[in-house]
Amino acid sequence: MNQTVVSYLSQYEFYDTLLALFKNNQGALAFTIYLLLSLAIVGMCATIGGLGTYAERKISADLQARIGPNRVGPYGLLQMLADGVKMMTKEDIMPFTADKMLFYLAPLLCLTGVFATLAVLPFSGGFIMADLNVGIFYLVAISSLVGVGVFLGGYASNSKWSMLGGMRGASQIISYEIPVTISILAITLLSGGMSFGTIVGHQGGLPHEWFIFHNPFSFLAFFVYGVGALAETNRAPFDLPEAESELVSGYHTEYTGMRFGFFALAEYIEVFVVCGVAASLFLGGYQVPGISLDILPIQAVQFVIFMTKTLLLYYVVIWIRWTFPRLRVDQLMAVCWKYLTPIAIFNLVGCAIWTVAFNGKSIAELIFGGGH
Amino acid sequence: MFIQLLFASSATLTVGCALGVLATKNLMHSCIFLLGSLMGVAGLFATLGADFVAVTQIMVYMGGVVILMLFAVMLTGGKDFISRAQNLLGLPSSMGNKWTYSVGGLVGLVLLLTNIRLISNVMNSHAPKVIGDEYPSTVSQIGHLLVKDHVLAFEISSVLLLGALVGAAIIARPRKQK
Amino acid sequence: MMSLGSYLIISLILFVIGLVVMLSRKNIVAILLGIELILNAAALNFVAYSRYVTNNLDGHIFSLFIIVVAAAEAAVGLAIVIRFFQIKETIHIDEATQLRN
Repeated sequence: MNQTVVSYLSQYEFYDTLLALFKNNQGALAFTIYLLLSLAIVGMCATIGGLGTYAERKISADLQARIGPNRVGPYGLLQMLADGVKMMTKEDIMPFTADKMLFYLAPLLCLTGVFATLAVLPFSGGFIMADLNVGIFYLVAISSLVGVGVFLGGYASNSKWSMLGGMRGASQIISYEIPVTISILAITLLSGGMSFGTIVGHQGGLPHEWFIFHNPFSFLAFFVYGVGALAETNRAPFDLPEAESELVSGYHTEYTGMRFGFFALAEYIEVFVVCGVAASLFLGGYQVPGISLDILPIQAVQFVIFMTKTLLLYYVVIWIRWTFPRLRVDQLMAVCWKYLTPIAIFNLVGCAIWTVAFNGKSIAELIFGGGH
Repeated sequence: MFIQLLFASSATLTVGCALGVLATKNLMHSCIFLLGSLMGVAGLFATLGADFVAVTQIMVYMGGVVILMLFAVMLTGGKDFISRAQNLLGLPSSMGNKWTYSVGGLVGLVLLLTNIRLISNVMNSHAPKVIGDEYPSTVSQIGHLLVKDHVLAFEISSVLLLGALVGAAIIARPRKQK
Repeated sequence: MMSLGSYLIISLILFVIGLVVMLSRKNIVAILLGIELILNAAALNFVAYSRYVTNNLDGHIFSLFIIVVAAAEAAVGLAIVIRFFQIKETIHIDEATQLRN
């Protein structure tokens, strides 16, 4: 299985011309393709992260009957560039008593953990950097670096607010990893594989072929995943680690300039990644309805479909943030351990029983017939 | 070429960060160096074609064990409390003193020499078979092995995890002061 | 460069460093760090042998179990550390001299 973008491109004719350009050096060509594509994906996701701040402000303004940023560029679209330039040129302050090494390391850990997940995110059937056999498992595993980064950011600043924020952040992230992972496990049970290619390949383009409508348990699992993912990315109503009204700004209180920018960027890109995972696990991913051809233009359509689903989810995340009040710490832990985790385990068992009892058929297949 | 690069960087990360764990006197830094070292070991697993083991390593250690260690360091006072307590109690430095280092170094040296002797024997007798550059998927095979050949160990490890969960919760539970 | 020997040497270095950390530290958490290094050296050896010598996946299974045991050990060990700290207000290993109270 282990398909990569290079092995996908190699089935087309222009790959041979490219290969001739590189004097038939397979490794150099593969390296160039990977380098260019990873630069493109990171650049794109950084832009999406930047636009996320703009979208956040614009949507919140819309929900509160305000106008929002509208001075820089058309509709204020260049606001993110202005913010970026401001952050780059700000003074880089480090508290005198801070732990230097960890203070420098923490934002980088956050950013690394988020960017590393982009390697397996399926933007379309062919343009997935590496369709690993352990794709979704790898994604869950590597994104736990963010928890370490948050914790270290809180510790290294040597400030009470940061420390409380970091402690809350780490405990929240490792607690909510459990329901999220178990929900994902239910989906791997249905699809019979952990690679994104297998998971998305088992779904179809139309809603009744998606895993969210596969059976009642996977429908519940989607919401468990959604709540858990919100908490894992420290989004409201679970934004306790950076609760402005209690902790100033949580674990990144003491960070200035681009280091703060790294934390903010990591958070927004992580929301994008989480939405992308939800779209490809539950909502059919990049599948185009009714078309099974595999030619290059279809890849563009698949990309557009994936991005549409992901950005719609992104909108819902921002909408939730400006609608619900924040939870208390004990409520947060109660939600995770007393409600979400038992429901997630129930879903997993339910999915297993469903798979055995109905031979892996979805509700639509049972009602309308057909299927495998 | 990718694999060679990955191997070189992982090996450097593993050994360098392990040396960092040994050299630093700051417990927090020690934990972070451990994280780097375990990450390097995950990279080495990947070069050996053990994708599932590599990802499990990352998942368990980075998502669980290291954060747990950091929490323990934090809850037991971090570096500030340790140095203060030592001054009060007049104890030797808790990150080791020259006696512990010399004893540890001596044992390590003996072990190193013994093992180099053993390894050289192994390397002379077994010329390593090169199985080729193929990295087949291990996930399905590991799944089959876990529920067929190694099912007893699998069940026992689940009981062990349950016992560890309950035991840790009971031990660490704050008790009412009498 | 990549052969069984190089993996064995890396694993040996890891093991020795872990042992020295374990012996020279007086802090319980730091001793646990050393144990993690030693367990990882063992897991690395199992996987290396499984690729270069036995050519089956039993080594992988064994290193998975090592990781499981390491996680369980870390959880229980750190719970004991925290409990010990509540009683003694220190995590110095020389203070752990009583079996009860």
